[in-house]
Amino acid sequence: MELWVGAISLGLLYAFMTMGVFLTFRIHDFPDITVDGSFTAGAAWCAVLLTAGVHPLAALAAAFAVGLASGWTTAFIHTRFRINGLLSGILVMTALYSINLHVMGRSNIPLLNQETVFTRIALWNPGIHPEGWNALVLSGCLCFFWAALAFFFKTDLGIAMRVTGNNPAMAAANGRSVSGMTLFGVALANGFVGLSGAVVAQYQGFADIGMGIGTVVIGLAAVIIGEAILKGTSMFTRVLGVIVGSILFRFLIAAALFVGMNPIDLKLLTAIFVLLTLVISKSFRPAAKSRSPLVGIGRSRIGKKIAAAAVLLLAAALAGYAVWMHLGGQESKTVQIGVVQLTDNGLLNITRDALVQELGNLGYGPGKKGIIYLENAHGDLATVNTILDKFLQQNVDLVVTISTACTQAAINKIKSKPVVFSTIANPFIIGAGKSETDHLSNVTGVYGWVSMEKMLELSRSFIPGPMTIGAIWDPAQANSVFNVELLRKALQANPEITFQGATITSSAEVYTAAVSLVQKGIRAFVLSPDNLVYSAFDSVVKAAAAARIPIFIADVERLKDGALLAYGYDYTSSGIQAAQMVNRILKGEKPGAIPFERYSRVTIGLNLDVARRYGMNVPEDIRSQATRFIENGKVVSSRPSPNKAPSIGIVQFALEPNVELCKQGIQKALEDKGFTGSRTPEFLFRNAQAEISNISPIVQDMVRRKVDIIVPLSTPCVQAAARFAGGRPDVQVVFTYVYDPYRAGAARTATDHPANVTGVSCFPPIAEMLDLIRTMLPDKNIIGVVWNSSEANSESVLLQIRSHAAQTGQKILEATVTGPSEVLEASRSLALKGAQVFLNSGDNTLNVGFDSFAKVAAENKIPVFSVDSEFIEKGAMAVLGPDYYRTGYDGGLYLARILQGESPAAMPIQQTGATLFLLNLDAARSCGLAIRPEFLKKARKVYGKAGGKSIHE
Amino acid sequence: MIEIRDLHKRFNAGTGNECYALCGINLHIRPGEFVTVIGTNGSGKSTLLNAVAGTFSPDQGLIRIDGNDVTLRKEHERAHHIARVFQNPFTGTAAQMTIAENLHMAYLRDKKCFPRLGLTASRMAVYRQEASLLEMKLEDRLSSQIGSLSGGQRQALTLLMAVLTRPKVLLLDEHTAALDPKSAALVIGLTRRFIERDKLTALMVTHSMQQALELGDRTIMMHKGSVIDDIPGAEKRRLTVHDLLDKFNELRKSEQLTEELLSSLRQEYV
Repeated sequence: MELWVGAISLGLLYAFMTMGVFLTFRIHDFPDITVDGSFTAGAAWCAVLLTAGVHPLAALAAAFAVGLASGWTTAFIHTRFRINGLLSGILVMTALYSINLHVMGRSNIPLLNQETVFTRIALWNPGIHPEGWNALVLSGCLCFFWAALAFFFKTDLGIAMRVTGNNPAMAAANGRSVSGMTLFGVALANGFVGLSGAVVAQYQGFADIGMGIGTVVIGLAAVIIGEAILKGTSMFTRVLGVIVGSILFRFLIAAALFVGMNPIDLKLLTAIFVLLTLVISKSFRPAAKSRSPLVGIGRSRIGKKIAAAAVLLLAAALAGYAVWMHLGGQESKTVQIGVVQLTDNGLLNITRDALVQELGNLGYGPGKKGIIYLENAHGDLATVNTILDKFLQQNVDLVVTISTACTQAAINKIKSKPVVFSTIANPFIIGAGKSETDHLSNVTGVYGWVSMEKMLELSRSFIPGPMTIGAIWDPAQANSVFNVELLRKALQANPEITFQGATITSSAEVYTAAVSLVQKGIRAFVLSPDNLVYSAFDSVVKAAAAARIPIFIADVERLKDGALLAYGYDYTSSGIQAAQMVNRILKGEKPGAIPFERYSRVTIGLNLDVARRYGMNVPEDIRSQATRFIENGKVVSSRPSPNKAPSIGIVQFALEPNVELCKQGIQKALEDKGFTGSRTPEFLFRNAQAEISNISPIVQDMVRRKVDIIVPLSTPCVQAAARFAGGRPDVQVVFTYVYDPYRAGAARTATDHPANVTGVSCFPPIAEMLDLIRTMLPDKNIIGVVWNSSEANSESVLLQIRSHAAQTGQKILEATVTGPSEVLEASRSLALKGAQVFLNSGDNTLNVGFDSFAKVAAENKIPVFSVDSEFIEKGAMAVLGPDYYRTGYDGGLYLARILQGESPAAMPIQQTGATLFLLNLDAARSCGLAIRPEFLKKARKVYGKAGGKSIHE
Repeated sequence: MIEIRDLHKRFNAGTGNECYALCGINLHIRPGEFVTVIGTNGSGKSTLLNAVAGTFSPDQGLIRIDGNDVTLRKEHERAHHIARVFQNPFTGTAAQMTIAENLHMAYLRDKKCFPRLGLTASRMAVYRQEASLLEMKLEDRLSSQIGSLSGGQRQALTLLMAVLTRPKVLLLDEHTAALDPKSAALVIGLTRRFIERDKLTALMVTHSMQQALELGDRTIMMHKGSVIDDIPGAEKRRLTVHDLLDKFNELRKSEQLTEELLSSLRQEYV
């Protein structure tokens, strides 16, 4: 859902920009490249104003104004100085890069905790899906802009603008100032672009200096797609086409992600798609005057046929690919599966939903082979039998029963067909078998009961000392009786606890029973599993709330309805395991030969709202055991279901050697923690290809794919993940390979972070590095640093270097660059100013231009220290920096802990302690330096003449 | 109505391509006078028209329209009072816009543009009425794109647009040269009709000596950026094409016209 709705939202947001591009390229016939700069300019101003506390709408207005100014400047340069329009745009775009950086003060401003138009919009949400609500409100806005812009084109001014674009000579002859009109049109267009940049920044939760790159191409593609789809000369049609084109373009990206296409191919796909749209739309256009050679082909009948066939083939290929991905290449055969559940209560529904979903994954269900009949007896045992009869009459291949009562009825009635049971406490007491392996030949299933000892122990940690507990059950259900017996047995070990029981025969009686127990002075409800009581749980809450009596329950799903603590199974695993058994049976295995399975994993859930309301302190050890919390009425976190291979989505910004090391570390840690074999995680690797606008659809796609954990690597990915997955109950985020998650806005402090977000940061060890330089080369304390001031990470590092150097008395000489080509001159200037040591602080631009840096160092016999390990053989004398492999490994350990059920909420963000210390003797010698043995001893690895002696690897 | 004094223009001054397009033109055109301009290629006929329209600013001299000095006024400012029809039928209209929108653009020539609805029902009625004057059934196709019209239709429409706001000056720059004979005759007929109807002051460059003699109250002949002859209406009515050529011969005798130029003139006009 998120993916498609997100694509609509994003398409609508980019539609403002597309309208701007339409205005310049189509109406004015002005190739305006300013767009790449004004998009960022709008975002930059908006972000700065938002962080200064300005109202989001005012920030949008400011962004519009900034866009206007940028466009006006381009048009002014063009009209006043008669400089080629393309060149004027390039000039302004280039200038805007610096200006935007100055405005932002750094390369990236997070907006995660800022009030934006989207947080405002969310306040009016009547209760629909938030992303859907966004899309809805945005479509409303766009409808307005559509009508307004199209109407504008029909006014005197609008007609004059179109004439000016269409035929400047004629416009001038008819009294229109071409330059004035160009100024106005290009300014207005960029106003739209600035607005678009601002809304996109607010939507994705950050503004970044690089977010405008490639915007103009996206805009053009959207305009072309729109024109191909919606043909017509009416301005209403043309403007609508622009908006539709923008959405379709986003859909194209989403579809490519959906079918699992490698993002590397996205650009190629875009190009092909735009080309195809152009060719095909020309082919279908009625004979129009055009000099395009393509029309010749298109106008002929054969041309049309070829074009139509191409479209069909493309569509069929995409559809086929999607279907093939879903079926996993299995042959189809119709099977019928009957599923029956007793009542509509939470845990049974969860079991059913998980079952259906897993069956779907295994290839059964709607649109695939086989039919699943879902039936619900609504608490009536007689209906259960009717349903089973119906199944028999329909001649289903297999029956799945959910709940004990249904299983009991099914094993009595059905002897010739397989029965798979699920969500049942004890299959033995109902006669399904004597042991897990010795059971009825047509019956197998999943079962498990909750330890009542543990339940009591948990309740004791809230309420110590003597107390009376109350329990309610239906004596007619074997399952309930069994559970109450377990509870009674557990009570024998707790002489301080007195037991008060009440029995019922229907859910209508639950309230009366609960009130009677309250009147008897119980201190807590301990509700053992009972389908009737659990389905009428609200009655218990009602009775208990008046007397502030906490409820302990065995169904995690009931937590949000008012229980204090839930200790129970994750019933999704029940459904999933049952589905897998169904698959085995349908594949030919005999049910009699499949042993009963227990679901062994339990979940502890805490309702912090109830605890606060009742004034109860949650003991820390329980908090740390809990994996699900209800806070402010929302599920704050839950852990992924344990019995299927966990899925992990890893998103990186670009291809870098260190990221690859980091990824290897993550995988190794998971492997070491036992996530191998059937538990080997399913990895979904995604690379944004260094384009920021690719990140949010990638993250949304991962959310849609229901990956258990999203692992964003690098700052912009962390920001996007925090924006689109932060605070969600159904996904966790574990980041790593990020210098400073706090500056990125993903968290406030190590412990104050969104409940489902945590991770491992890898800020370089600056203090250690400066100390190393000081102790290693005591007589050299003028340190030269080359860095790019538009890199947020570099800036953080430099701040640290400056403040630490101020303490140690080392002198820092800085030279800033904006691109790798400037590194050579910057390094020379440092050498000239007397730098005695060169330090690579891990700046990405410097990393690209490192050879120049090392060259100048060698020419001047200056030793080079580097934070990045890849340079130890490229001229650095010493490396002391984050060990990215180990950073990844630490992140992997976090992943493992979460996969094992820990809650990220309770896991503080960690700064990796793993550093890498490498030395290169050749580099030292060429600077005329010798490295003292104590350093050699400390180094992980020493390169150079003394031989690559590895100390520990 | 039009007063030109000592007008000079040199293009690409100081380069190898230097071209002395206008050298000291003096011309006075009375209100309501219809002047035709003839001359060889490169004699400065079109440059003279463009100087009046304001597509460039002259190096020296003075241009007055209706008593106002417009020498330094920009093209679009002068357009409030000056209407033009170009040689190329594609130049005078916006191809991707409708007939009505083009007419509306002409209507706005002497007005400011505001964001208010342009083609109201009453405006459309006016344009339908105006278009019917062309007798080309264009009044039924007001919402068609100009691009779908023939060159003759487009030129007729450009002419209609030019006279729509009753301009003080109408400039016609060989506006039938690119048309087939039938369309050309049609457009010339319309030109004569509109100029007579509105008593417009008009300056028309032409390649056809026949046209030059038949149309207008006065004919001027240009050569090498100067006006070399000015034939008033009374004399013009008596002249034939041959008389005109004889006039060229006379000029040659007075050394103003070389033999080769004479032959090029013959080539062009006979």
